[in-house]
Amino acid sequence: MANVKGSVATVNENSLGRKPTIWETLSGEKYFKWMLALPLIIVLLVFMVYPLIFCLYKSFFQSSLSGNAIFIGLENYRVMLHDINFWIPLGRTFQVTVICIVAEILIGLGLGMLWNRDFKGQNIVRGLILLPLLVAPLILSIVWNFLLEYNIGFINQLFVAIGLGRVNWWAPSGALYTICAITIWQWFPFSTSVLLAGLKSLPKDVFEAARVDGAKSWFTFRKITLPMLSPLIVIITLLRTMWLIRLFDPLYGTTRGAVGTELLDWMVYRTSFVYFDIGYGSTLAIMSLFLTMIIGAIMFKQLIKTLNASN
Amino acid sequence: MKNKGITFKRVLFWVITSLVLLGVLGPLLWIYLTAFKSSSDIFAGTLGRQLLFTPTLDNFKRLFFQFPYFKTLGNSLIISLGSTALVMIIALPAAYSFARWNTGGGHILFNTIASRMFPGVVAAIPFFILFRKLSLLDTHIGLILLFMYFNVSFATFLLYGFFRDVPVELEQAAMIDGYGRFAIFRKVVLPLVLPGIATTSVFCLIWSWNEFLFSFLFSRKVATTITVLISSFWGSIDVQYGTMAAGAAISILPTLIAAWFMQRYIIRGLTFGAVKG
Repeated sequence: MANVKGSVATVNENSLGRKPTIWETLSGEKYFKWMLALPLIIVLLVFMVYPLIFCLYKSFFQSSLSGNAIFIGLENYRVMLHDINFWIPLGRTFQVTVICIVAEILIGLGLGMLWNRDFKGQNIVRGLILLPLLVAPLILSIVWNFLLEYNIGFINQLFVAIGLGRVNWWAPSGALYTICAITIWQWFPFSTSVLLAGLKSLPKDVFEAARVDGAKSWFTFRKITLPMLSPLIVIITLLRTMWLIRLFDPLYGTTRGAVGTELLDWMVYRTSFVYFDIGYGSTLAIMSLFLTMIIGAIMFKQLIKTLNASN
Repeated sequence: MKNKGITFKRVLFWVITSLVLLGVLGPLLWIYLTAFKSSSDIFAGTLGRQLLFTPTLDNFKRLFFQFPYFKTLGNSLIISLGSTALVMIIALPAAYSFARWNTGGGHILFNTIASRMFPGVVAAIPFFILFRKLSLLDTHIGLILLFMYFNVSFATFLLYGFFRDVPVELEQAAMIDGYGRFAIFRKVVLPLVLPGIATTSVFCLIWSWNEFLFSFLFSRKVATTITVLISSFWGSIDVQYGTMAAGAAISILPTLIAAWFMQRYIIRGLTFGAVKG
């Protein structure tokens, strides 16, 4: 398609019968497309390449915010590999990511199947569950912290009223799961809505045929529904991984990294902005970036694939 | 659901649906309830007093008169609008270029999306040092630039999807009719992607409005945003749940309204255009 248009543009330019002016040259296709993308490319160079080079460079130094930097080669990386304060948050981040994604997809599948029918007020129900999605995660985490407070929190009050007794939601043994639960609460509407949209778009005749053939509903779900939804499940998994690996706001609103809830980015933050250990902080940052880049590359391919498929 | 009678399945369906809705809306409703409670009701140890209380405007009064609430609200507004405008100026032409000519063969587009993967804290260190040198710390301009940075990739990718929906034949027809490139863009393409531009702008506004990490690290007094102010209500020695709830009640209102009116586009936006909800 682009070729056809290119030839039209060439005809226009040649028909002038003289040497094109600078303006005409720049608005020719070859330059025009780059001119349009130029501001973005500059922004990317400044805002992506600069931090990357900075962090990479600093990671070879022992340096604080204002003090002198001493070149120490790969020492920071060696320290990191043996640093239990790096591996534990990394493991936790992995744990949180897996728990949240699995729970969100299961809830999403369940509610998607439940709501994949015509019922009174279906549009209102679908609209209402989307409400928490766009609210600031920081504010929601503070609200949840309040709701889960030991003495006056509504949830514990409710538990007392129905005779379950108070639960210490922020005990070191369970605080990480509480944070998972808050995150799942905010994001299950996302997986539910995506999967519901997917279910609605599935061809009805396939299910009709399966029903006529006497297939059991569990069989139909496993052999027809699930495979057809799998591209969407992949998209949800990738997008959520990208967000979850950088979970920060819910930590600030609740435990602030205490009681065994420190995650990857919180540790980078603490090293750089609380201890002002810029050198080591940069090393950890590079590592965090490296992990997200791998996921990013996979995600990009998948997004383009889905975009192409839906067009 | 064809059976009109009250069956067990029907009851179960509505029980689950109501429970889910209650679970989703309950905490949001709780913000609004708490905002109108007096301190003694908030800290009351019984469910009765927490649910049946005499509404009061004390929290709002305290919020408005003892805290720089309107200033931070204004800051959030200025920074969100400023960064969104900047994002659109940069992302719009770029997305058009990627969608129409596949500029850079997908590599630039990939790098655009990759910049979104960039962990905020990673970028924060170099920018903190750079901004300190340029004395951009705690300024509106500084935050506008940072918000622009983390929104531009998202906006480009989302707009890219919308531009791809415009049939290239329309542009070719306009070109044969003798329109220039800018005229085609303005008269043919732009009207067709207007919903896309609106959706993308609202998303950028909301992301900026909700942003916490950068505003927290890069502002002290002058450019403090609403999320930073609200976060300050807890963590100090006395926890001010009432003031926090009042602040939250007002500042999440725009996002709740946006979520309600943008229903159709939320999923499309959150999936970078891959799923058209």
